[in-house]
Amino acid sequence: MSAMSKTSGGGRELLVIGVFAAIVLLLPFWLPLLGGYEALATKIVIWALFALGFDILLGFTGFLSFGHAAFFGTAAYTTGLMLKHVSADIIPALAVSVSLTLVLAIVLGFLTLRRSGIYFSILTLAFGEMLYAAVLSIFQGWTGGDNGLTMSTKPTLLGLPMQGLNVFYVCAVLLIGGFALARQIKRSPFGLMLMSIKENPMRLEYTGVNVMAYKMMAFTISGLYAAVAGSLMVVYEPYVATEFMHWTTSGEIVIMSVIGGVNTLLGPMIGAAFMLFFENVVQAFIGEQWKLILGAIFVLVVIFLPGGFIDLARRVRKAMGHMVPSRRDNVPDAPGSMREDRQKGRRADAQLGGR
Amino acid sequence: MTDRKDDSNRGWSRRNVLKAGAASAVIAGTGPMIFTRNSWAQDAIGNFPVKGDTVMFGFNVPQTGAYADEGADELRAYKLAVKHLNNGGGMLETLKPSSLTGQGVLGKKVGYVSGDTQTSPDAARTSARRMIERDKVIMYGGGSSSSVAIAQQYLAQEMGVIFMCGLTHSNDTTGKDKRRYGFRHFFNAYMSGKALGPVLADAYGTDRRAFHLTADYTWGHTQYQSIKEFTEKEGWTTVNNIMTPLGTSDYSQFLTAVLNSDADVLVLNHYGKDMVNSLTQAVQFGMKDMQKNGKDFQIVVPLYSRLMAQGAGASNIDGVFGSTNWNWTLEDAGSQAFVKSFEDEYGFPPSQAAQTCYVQTLLYANACERAGTFYPPEVIKALEDFRFTGAGPGEAYYRGADHQCFKDILVVQGKGPDQKQGEYDLLNIVQHVKRDDVIYPVDTFSGELGPYKPA
Repeated sequence: MSAMSKTSGGGRELLVIGVFAAIVLLLPFWLPLLGGYEALATKIVIWALFALGFDILLGFTGFLSFGHAAFFGTAAYTTGLMLKHVSADIIPALAVSVSLTLVLAIVLGFLTLRRSGIYFSILTLAFGEMLYAAVLSIFQGWTGGDNGLTMSTKPTLLGLPMQGLNVFYVCAVLLIGGFALARQIKRSPFGLMLMSIKENPMRLEYTGVNVMAYKMMAFTISGLYAAVAGSLMVVYEPYVATEFMHWTTSGEIVIMSVIGGVNTLLGPMIGAAFMLFFENVVQAFIGEQWKLILGAIFVLVVIFLPGGFIDLARRVRKAMGHMVPSRRDNVPDAPGSMREDRQKGRRADAQLGGR
Repeated sequence: MTDRKDDSNRGWSRRNVLKAGAASAVIAGTGPMIFTRNSWAQDAIGNFPVKGDTVMFGFNVPQTGAYADEGADELRAYKLAVKHLNNGGGMLETLKPSSLTGQGVLGKKVGYVSGDTQTSPDAARTSARRMIERDKVIMYGGGSSSSVAIAQQYLAQEMGVIFMCGLTHSNDTTGKDKRRYGFRHFFNAYMSGKALGPVLADAYGTDRRAFHLTADYTWGHTQYQSIKEFTEKEGWTTVNNIMTPLGTSDYSQFLTAVLNSDADVLVLNHYGKDMVNSLTQAVQFGMKDMQKNGKDFQIVVPLYSRLMAQGAGASNIDGVFGSTNWNWTLEDAGSQAFVKSFEDEYGFPPSQAAQTCYVQTLLYANACERAGTFYPPEVIKALEDFRFTGAGPGEAYYRGADHQCFKDILVVQGKGPDQKQGEYDLLNIVQHVKRDDVIYPVDTFSGELGPYKPA
């Protein structure tokens, strides 16, 4: 019996991944219908991977990092330098950049994870900005300073030129793999530990769990996702912009996650796609005032849809009279009027077998 | 009960797994064909051949951020250029040699798309790729920052689409980062230094001691190097240089250092808002009425623009020396034709950024006409070593070896409130520096242009 339901769970998992893979792999074909283009599809996939990793830290573990650009940028610069000076093949470049970022994540994690909440955010921001300053000053000879790291290299993967749709499919495969992995993490006991840290780290500590180790793991995994995304950014376009290291990149990933819906994996990816689509396609229709409208959208989402875009689906289902589980993330926004709502949700949870 | 539920669940998923599998198989099968898409026609480069009866240009300008004013003026100039290319008028009547007909380019009507660079290299490249991939532009241009221009030049080379730089003053754009697919009509820091050096020595003497404040990024660094080189050639001494962070709003700590030194000239290697802030504060420090080493203290702003002069205000820029690419008060036929049509269209005179973007668009279109094709390598060859008149004072020369355009540039002095005749009359042209006086050997800077055909 339990074996059977397990198979069924695995089947459902395969279905989810399959549908996700189909949507992602066909992106270059359906995005142009909406006014998008191939390069945008690639960029969306890369940022989606970045957002996915960010959700493991923010969504699962509840740590708001404002310094993820440090990982994204370090990986981008390392990849750029590897492609420019060592080999045009992306495998050694990716290997070196991911390993280096791993070391960086361990060091930064060690230094920042002792604090939580706003102190953690500020610490990560500070380290991120330190690296940014280093790129523009002491490493200027290597990084090209303000001009960015320019090169005439054409990246290859085992001889296959990394241009056009080739890059897209490499990125898409990594995103699908990253998505499957993140879902596994979420369903695993390890994922449960991370979510318990978000709920109450002290209580977990008292039960004898090494909370620091789990936090380190989450931070490092999240950093690795950012590293792969940062490297792919340079594979997609052999140029490293200084802003990959800048706090605005960190800020952007936070905004993407929040408007998409944290702790849902899909939400941050939708947020990333929305932001990039708006910035590059809708912008052309609006003209100079596009940032104003984007700002208004953020405000509206945060006020009326605090669960992000992904929460829209749940709300629509509820409005249609379905019993839906209540939102589980720790957003302290639920006023008393939502109590009834929550109870209904709890009943629904019970009926759905507490999934 | 639960068993049945499980069964139905399983049925669903199996069918869907198969479907998903089939879908992925289709994709896997078609994938390889897509990979080789670009190999079918040997001579298709970038968006050549142009399909349909409209040819698209892309105008990528800063619409938001610190340089938004300049971006807006560039876009106005671009729209005017497209109008003139399609219907005649403006510099079409003065540019020589010209093959432009005023009825589009090579029999095709000119259309355009615009984008926002946000003065960020990454955003500019993404925006440019939209123009190239979706809107199929054959050429793109614009921008108001050297790092953005350089990032886009590399993209141009990669994609095989020509990039006609807008406002970029760093030596690197046509120096160490020059690209075969990028062209710059605007002058650069080296030329500014070469033009300013003798004028400054003439006005202030040869025994001056200069203190530099430099915006801490590549453009600032190259300008500091160039100004230092050429003023020292005249006998000046460089006392010190402080790198100031880009976007600084309070310069008092740096200006205090200037006051405490024995310098008698302050050189502000700042642009845009930075220059407006640093100059205004220097004047507030009383530096314009001060005596040092028995001489009048002087302030120099090597790169001037009318928009900046407007921002700083006439009383602050009064008598301050600088250099500029072009000014709307020039009397030659080309400048006059452009200023007139711009004023008719928008009601105020154009900035130097507008002029360079306008001329760049016309030069590109003219090169296509002369080459008889949009095929990028041929158009590049038509632009290289092209000599022309009627787009500003004197004869201009687009050097083929580094894609830098050489022409007369201007040394200007800010006009005081009592001298100016109107809102836009801010700069007094002190000297027309002739092209041959600012030209420099191509091997002054390193760098390679790269191939005519992107591999």
